Amino acid sequence: MAENITLLALFEDIEPAVRGIDRLRELGVSDQDLNVISGVPIPGRVLGRPGAITNVAKIAIAGAIFGLFFGLALIYGTPYLYPLLVGGQPIYPIPMGWIVMFEMTMLGLMGFAFLGLFVDSGFPAYTPMNYVPEISDGRIALLFPCSDDERGKFSDALKSAGAESVEPAEARHL
Amino acid sequence: MAATAKSLPQPRARVAEHEDPRVHLMHDPRPRGEMNDMVLESMHTATWRYWIATGTLTFLVLTCFVFAWYYLIANGLGVAGVNRPVYWGIFLVNTVFWIGISHAGTFISAILRVMKIEGRRPFTRAAELMTTFGLVQAGASIFMHMGRVWLAYWLFPFPNERGLWPDFHSPLMWDFLAINTYLLCSTMYLFLPLIPDLAMVRDRAKGWQKIPYRILALGFRGTEGEWKNLHTAMNIFAFAIIPVMFSVHTIVSWDFAMATRPGWSSTVFGPYFVIGALHSGMAAVAIVLFLIRSTMKNMKYFLRPEHFNLIGMLMLLVSMAWAYFYFNDYLVPWYGGDKWEKILQEFTEKGPIWWLWYVMLICNVAIPWLILWRKKWRSTPWLLAIVGVFINIGMWIERYVIIPEALTINRMPFTWRIYIPHVEIFLTIGTVSLFLLLYMLASRVIPLIPVWEVQEGQESHTLRRVGKAELSTLTNIE
Amino acid sequence: MANDLQLPVFTNTSEQEVSGKWGMVIDQDLCTGCQACVAACSMENNVPFVGEEDANYGRSMHWIRIERFWSGTFPEVKMTPYQPMLCQQCHNAPCEPVCPVFASVHSASEDTNLQVYNRCVGTRYCANNCPYQVRVFNWRDYTDARARPWLTSLQNQLSPDVTVRRRGVMEKCTFCIQRIHQAEQVAASENRSIADGDVTPACAQACPADAIVFGRIDDPNSRVSQAALNARGYHQLDELRTTPRITYLHGASNGSNG
Repeated sequence: MAENITLLALFEDIEPAVRGIDRLRELGVSDQDLNVISGVPIPGRVLGRPGAITNVAKIAIAGAIFGLFFGLALIYGTPYLYPLLVGGQPIYPIPMGWIVMFEMTMLGLMGFAFLGLFVDSGFPAYTPMNYVPEISDGRIALLFPCSDDERGKFSDALKSAGAESVEPAEARHL
Repeated sequence: MAATAKSLPQPRARVAEHEDPRVHLMHDPRPRGEMNDMVLESMHTATWRYWIATGTLTFLVLTCFVFAWYYLIANGLGVAGVNRPVYWGIFLVNTVFWIGISHAGTFISAILRVMKIEGRRPFTRAAELMTTFGLVQAGASIFMHMGRVWLAYWLFPFPNERGLWPDFHSPLMWDFLAINTYLLCSTMYLFLPLIPDLAMVRDRAKGWQKIPYRILALGFRGTEGEWKNLHTAMNIFAFAIIPVMFSVHTIVSWDFAMATRPGWSSTVFGPYFVIGALHSGMAAVAIVLFLIRSTMKNMKYFLRPEHFNLIGMLMLLVSMAWAYFYFNDYLVPWYGGDKWEKILQEFTEKGPIWWLWYVMLICNVAIPWLILWRKKWRSTPWLLAIVGVFINIGMWIERYVIIPEALTINRMPFTWRIYIPHVEIFLTIGTVSLFLLLYMLASRVIPLIPVWEVQEGQESHTLRRVGKAELSTLTNIE
Repeated sequence: MANDLQLPVFTNTSEQEVSGKWGMVIDQDLCTGCQACVAACSMENNVPFVGEEDANYGRSMHWIRIERFWSGTFPEVKMTPYQPMLCQQCHNAPCEPVCPVFASVHSASEDTNLQVYNRCVGTRYCANNCPYQVRVFNWRDYTDARARPWLTSLQNQLSPDVTVRRRGVMEKCTFCIQRIHQAEQVAASENRSIADGDVTPACAQACPADAIVFGRIDDPNSRVSQAALNARGYHQLDELRTTPRITYLHGASNGSNG
């Protein structure tokens, strides 16, 4: 039985890459198995693939709610714990409540959006991964599994679509 | 027959040159690898001029920032020029000034991104660096003005054995929350689009230099999921940091507006300060971009006259808005009503330092309005930078007029006294030097141009033939 | 002073009904401007000497000051009455809400404005916000005998009941709260409430003209309450609604501020 390997095909531009994706689809590689890595973001619509799903927005909203409650705790919880009278103002002031809750909500929203990126993308990822440095020079890489004996078939199909190279992917420390 | 009438002279045709669209960065694409090379070359090339500048700045930072601040902490605020009634002096002026400068970064990076103004692409990172470094100086200035700065952590709400919490009635606590929120969020916002560029540097770095980039790039590769997450996070930040930016300088203005002092207790302070922040910030961006373009290699490809034109237009617009708000703030005391505000206004215009007020108006209004209306002048980097310097001087003076000058006049004339700064002058030089030094060091360490965003923009722009012309067309690939 | 206009009041619970305990009346007609109160207050409360240079620059730290305004040259000098200015212990003190660390709070029991020295971090917002400009700041270590050797002998006169403040801390008149507390303790040990005349702050004690009257203003029969009813009475900067606890009585030349 031929073992499964992962191939990495490098394309220089969007059009050849899209042709390559079509060839791969014809050859039976499903959308889930195929990974597209690029130096600039290319929407799924352009590539003819379903777009990626992100959880960052949901995590950010959760962070906003957390921030809101944290702000509430600051502005109304702390005077409840230790009330002190100042300047004829109420101990539980309302306008300051808006200010504090706003700032903490925004901090929660953005802080959790940032962390959400880490969580959702698995950052930081320092284990060896399939990658070639040419990608940050603007190349588009198609990463897909195939069995060892079919390698030549895939390679020819992609090269005729315009691939610069089709090589087995090496997992390396980035 | 009558004599033939002399024929009318032919009207001289006014010929305009058609601009070659390839003058614009977005229509002058180069291969990504080449752009990466250019940016890395500018990062790694340091001439002797760079080292002289960095050495001078380091010396200034060590003397005028580190030593002067040590001297201040060791001897107390008596070595500064503050007294009764001017309890707040140049330290607060610097705080407001640096927070103002920091607003430009967010304006360019967030507002221009949200409004999809493509001209922002090459200089968002330079602007965001200004935000972070500016806020560092603002934070330092706030700490400098505190009498017992070693207890500054008491402003942080944390459970302690005395059960004490900070007082959220105080505008200084709103400041604490807002400025920290802004600092954290703008640093995160600086870091997000930096990740792909750090990955690029990581891919090309060799040896021990690769290690910090490997760590900071977080293992970013550029998969669809990673780009989608990054884009979503950047969009959330871009939209969310705009109201935070407005709120930060509004809250800073409330430090003054909540006080019962004549000249301070003004309801227009919120928007007035925000516009003032944008005014000095945009001017500082012009200066920084001019310095980057003229001193760093290959930057003339990325930073073109069109970008200076964009910044110049924004500077003119904000200058007009500032004049509008200043006139609002000026008219009310001029008209009469509060006797102390009128006395303060007369003191400002005719008192011992009357000339400061005139310099402020010339720098903030006259110079921009005389120069920035002409596109050719706006597109000249060095001219825009000079206008930027004047505007920053004018805006610094504006904060000086608002803080120490307004504090001189209060409702108890027996206490009126002029403010004469001492160690604050050195510390001001120190903060400016530190700001520039941080920038110089950052230019060696991170790429100042977000190359992936420039390439993204270049892919979105095409030239479409309509009739005989090649017209710029923007397709929003996003 | 009662709220004559019956304006609606929206703020907190400790309102005008709780009219507070301690107040003062200063008769500007009697004040001779001798500054005995200034000296007595400084001695009682360990107020430091700042030295000639700092005093010239507006950093003198007297908790009470005598303000005088005049026009003309000698001998045709016109003067306003002397105006002793000290912390007005406002009910709605503008200095209180602006302190970020609660170093300037309101005492509900004595209805005075408290300055907590060991909590102050020195932002000086309270001083900026005081419309009477009665708050003073320790700009240097004025009480450090290592830096000022001539202070060594003066340390013997420091009052043991009052903290000696170091630099970076705000301070102001406290209505001699150490004397108030002492009288309260004496009264509590004798199982009675504190009576009018039990407490005399240093300024009132020293005034040779008896221009300063101090006492309980929630007792309508006390000397200070009776004195406050005088037709010459006014509050400083009344329009700011700080509701101060000190009533001034107009002096002869009908001068007010400036």
